[in-house]
Amino acid sequence: MIHTDICDRIGIEYPIFQGGMAWVSEHVLAAAVSNAGGLGLISAMSADGEYLRREIRLCREITDKPFGVNVMLMSPYAAEVAKVILEERVSVVTTGAGLPGVYMKEWVPAGIKVVPVVPSTAIARRVEREGAAAIIAEGCESGGHVGELTTMALVPQVVDCVSVPVVAAGGIADGRGIAAAFMLGARGVQCGTRFLCAEECQIHPNYKRKVLAARDIDTVVTGRRLGHPVRCLRNPLSRQIGLMEYDSSVSNEEIERCGAGSLRRAAVEGDTEGGSFMAGQIAALVKCVKPAREIIAEMFAEAEKLLSEGATWVR
Amino acid sequence: MIFEKVAEMLADYKGIDVSTIAPESTFQDLELDSLDVADLVMQIEDALGVNIELDPSVTNMDALVKRIEEAKNA
Repeated sequence: MIHTDICDRIGIEYPIFQGGMAWVSEHVLAAAVSNAGGLGLISAMSADGEYLRREIRLCREITDKPFGVNVMLMSPYAAEVAKVILEERVSVVTTGAGLPGVYMKEWVPAGIKVVPVVPSTAIARRVEREGAAAIIAEGCESGGHVGELTTMALVPQVVDCVSVPVVAAGGIADGRGIAAAFMLGARGVQCGTRFLCAEECQIHPNYKRKVLAARDIDTVVTGRRLGHPVRCLRNPLSRQIGLMEYDSSVSNEEIERCGAGSLRRAAVEGDTEGGSFMAGQIAALVKCVKPAREIIAEMFAEAEKLLSEGATWVR
Repeated sequence: MIFEKVAEMLADYKGIDVSTIAPESTFQDLELDSLDVADLVMQIEDALGVNIELDPSVTNMDALVKRIEEAKNA
């Protein structure tokens, strides 16, 4: 059984977080992951505080295990969401797409365990100083918003510059990924793409089909020109945005308009032409839909086997 | 004084001529993205021994220098 200090700090059985994915990570998936011994996360996405409050309360109806909320700091409702987190006494918060310091000043003294997603060592040091319970080092193999560094390069550098435990994210979908992350110094993993194909994941069946059909070369990053690059599966929309980005006669506003609402179109409507199907580079390793409990148990059984066998072939 | 010190560090960080950095220069003018700003601010903190509050309202050199002054006087 793999047990790390992440398990003790967060109060979970397996050191695995389910990624906070907008329009994907709602209460049913979060509860399933938490009931399976991991940390389920509800995405606050760009919705208002009352949406989050409803999701938290619905989640509590179907799990008594710890679960968390992921706050997208670029959301226009971030301040409102931060307040709901305090009022609802959420036990764990992960943050992304910005610096969480202003909110950590209230969350940390309230006993909320804050685990920011960081794309660089400077931000890791900053959030540690601000009271982070752990840090998620996310490489650009991940789906959704991405930084520049890969998981392989980022994780050991973050591990070396902070003293709190590090959770590796980006490009992890099986036991090999977990074992590799642990060898880089991580004490936990966060997986998003693998949980897109959890039975309990409520996304449109077309989204799951696209992930299951993905090949190694099927993800692409769009939005670099806008300053917030996003990794998704190739489709007509990603091609269109890619072309617009290289066309200097197209304004940034036109590109923004083209992408607006596209994640909802993918996750809710299953719009294979105009939706943005966010997924990580590891999507091709996801071959079947399974309950979250089986996904987690299998990943950790494989990791444990690999880590114990390592000693037999390393002389 | 603080502006000159920060401009020097920034010029070194970006490999640009220090004379091209003015108090009113925005991070965008200087081609600094959010990761660059976080990295630069950590360097400034280490060099000056201060903790600087950083939020999205800090978008130019002048605002950054003000934050550093506040931190030094805190």
